[in-house]
Amino acid sequence: MIIGLAHYLTVAAILFTIGVFGIFVNRKNVIIILMCVELILLAVNINFVAFSTHMVETGANEPLAGQIFALFILTVAAAEAAVGLAILVVYFRNRGNIAVEDIDLMKG
Amino acid sequence: MLVAISFYLLAFVAIASAFMVVASRNPVHSVMFLIVTFFSAAGLFILMGAEFLALLLVMVYVGAVAVLFLFVVMMLDVDFVELKQGFLQYLPFGFVVALILLAEMIMVGAAYFTGETKALATYSGEKSNLERFGEVLYTDYAFFFEAAGLVLLVAMIGAIVLTLRERDGVRKQDITKQVGRTRETAIEMVDIESGQGVG
Amino acid sequence: MTDFLLGYLPVLILFGIALALSIAFLLIPAIIAPKQPDTEKLSTYECGFNAFDDSRMKFDVQFYLVAILFIIFDLEVAFLFPYAVSAGHLGNYAWVVVMIFLLELTAGLVYAWKKGALDWH
Repeated sequence: MIIGLAHYLTVAAILFTIGVFGIFVNRKNVIIILMCVELILLAVNINFVAFSTHMVETGANEPLAGQIFALFILTVAAAEAAVGLAILVVYFRNRGNIAVEDIDLMKG
Repeated sequence: MLVAISFYLLAFVAIASAFMVVASRNPVHSVMFLIVTFFSAAGLFILMGAEFLALLLVMVYVGAVAVLFLFVVMMLDVDFVELKQGFLQYLPFGFVVALILLAEMIMVGAAYFTGETKALATYSGEKSNLERFGEVLYTDYAFFFEAAGLVLLVAMIGAIVLTLRERDGVRKQDITKQVGRTRETAIEMVDIESGQGVG
Repeated sequence: MTDFLLGYLPVLILFGIALALSIAFLLIPAIIAPKQPDTEKLSTYECGFNAFDDSRMKFDVQFYLVAILFIIFDLEVAFLFPYAVSAGHLGNYAWVVVMIFLLELTAGLVYAWKKGALDWH
């Protein structure tokens, strides 16, 4: 039994789908939505790393590029979580709840 | 064989706990399951040979981001049962979207990658994963590296601007103010005639 | 490929031991501890009055700010790990790049310091 690229891609696809599913299902809870975004980004990271480690080195390409990209995604995801949760805290302080349906002040 | 067993175990745990993130009623439990998901994903990374990223995932996500989420869940005193309503209402729609998405992705993946098992590039060299990172990260990808630094800077400033507030009624030590006091500002000389009082 | 993964076998064994130990600690009391359940044992006693409120209480936003700063600097350090390993043969260009990166983060630290985000009050 050899675990190949397709196995990892399938895991990533399932994780991605669970993330999207979670956003649809938990439409009222921003915190869970943010966690689902983290799940989606994790799935993307697994894809990047899988492609990077299964790439055959030809001399012209850089197999590590995928992992470097995953590193930057990790950075952006952490920054996103920090700022997103900060926005959430400020919103809660001003409005007293975090129901997504009430966040429609900018409705045209 | 050991690799296959570990892969299936880690993949199963990752997917099951990712599902529990979505499905669990209590957001604190969701955060815990998110930690488990990231932990097993880190195991998958190690299985693929990306050691540095695996340990980074444990360090950053399990160590920091999960704590952040927990803080926010604890900090916001929200009635989460109320927020969970509508779960069943959106369930069928969510399932349909998820199934279509999954089927598409697996079809695309399976069409190209079935049966191919190539040697893993990361295992081949005698250098470690971390060393190879160092060789390209600070040279070929220098600009991206600096951009990542800027992203972190902006995130830090943004978070401070958003959450820091000056509160009234909190006594704080202001050293410049203390040192800047002179005799004139600190002492008031009053001549009081006897029998009159300060009045 | 297996050689590489064999290096992680000790970690796996450690996890196995941890798992076995924790399961043992859960199971052994359940088997050998004396059990005489009584409703009075669960009731409140003297000062232990019933809780007024939910046990989840709001706590201060300062904790959150510290956590954010921790994440940022955590990632900053993570970016420096590869440099620590391969600094010897990287040359001046990489050094300048790393120093600019550190300067960016130092600017953030100075900002946080001046704003008073690190003060506790």
